[in-house]
Amino acid sequence: MGVLTRMSTVVRAKMNRLLDKAEDPRETLDFAYEKQMEMLRNVKRGVVEMVTTKRRLELQASKVQETVVKLEEQARQAMAAGREDLARLALQRKQASVYELDGLDQQVANLELEQEKLTKAEQRLKAKVDSFRTRKEIVKAQYNAAQAQVRIGSALSGISEEMGDVQLSIERAETKTESLRARAGAIDELAEAGVLEDFSGREDQLGKELAQITASQNVEDELEGLRAGLHSDQKKSLTDGGQQ
Amino acid sequence: MIVRILTEGQFNLPGVHIDTLNEIDNKLVEVVESEDQEGFDRYLKEMLDLVRENAIPVGVDELVESDLVLPEPDITLVEAEELFTGEGLLPD
Repeated sequence: MGVLTRMSTVVRAKMNRLLDKAEDPRETLDFAYEKQMEMLRNVKRGVVEMVTTKRRLELQASKVQETVVKLEEQARQAMAAGREDLARLALQRKQASVYELDGLDQQVANLELEQEKLTKAEQRLKAKVDSFRTRKEIVKAQYNAAQAQVRIGSALSGISEEMGDVQLSIERAETKTESLRARAGAIDELAEAGVLEDFSGREDQLGKELAQITASQNVEDELEGLRAGLHSDQKKSLTDGGQQ
Repeated sequence: MIVRILTEGQFNLPGVHIDTLNEIDNKLVEVVESEDQEGFDRYLKEMLDLVRENAIPVGVDELVESDLVLPEPDITLVEAEELFTGEGLLPD
């Protein structure tokens, strides 16, 4: 069985679950319309949830950004006070925060894409629901015409399929939002504990180790930079002192 | 022939393309089975592009059932695998 057949089966299963047909076709129509409105509300709720999660991630990103600046300053001060060990520690923490920041920015971008897709799905469904409502009233008025029943049957399947599609989109968006929210919670905990050192998000051991090597190299480079800055400051103050 | 691309909507695809679509579909199954990420990306794009380039979008206010449903453009290889095992995409 190919991808196409499987995908069609999945969507059909979704739409059947969404729409148990009632005995009286007129009831089916009203029931279907109710379901459609409910689905529209679900999409809207999905979009709102994504916006909330996105705001939270953005807020976290700005906090992490502050931490980066603070740690940089601390490293500089530690170096000036001759405590290279403390400066190294501060820079290591800063590296972890920088990684975290990259991850957060990426996630915010992903959420934006997802939000855009969901908004489009909502607009599409809205147009179909409007069209369905019109047709529903016409058919209800001429219920006895056999032809009308055939027409509404296909319209029903059509809109149920759209709902199946939207339902899948909502579920995917929810799964993504859920995992981001869990991650956001984990970051909050780590930040509260004052540590962001485990490069969370990099799950495999190799990736972790490689990231740590890059990070410690960055730390050494920055330490070197601070050292050089310190030396030239000292030289400068010596020269300035000589001139006085 | 009415074809839906999930998350993108419905298209009216001329019947002459069905054979090509089926060929790509078979290739997709193979790459999913062999977990070939590169092949998966390539054939999925080929499949969706075939529809996007040769079909006319169905009007938003039209209510018709599709003959075929194509996966969403950002479906992952893992999700496609789940599609075949029948789990994940068919939750209660």
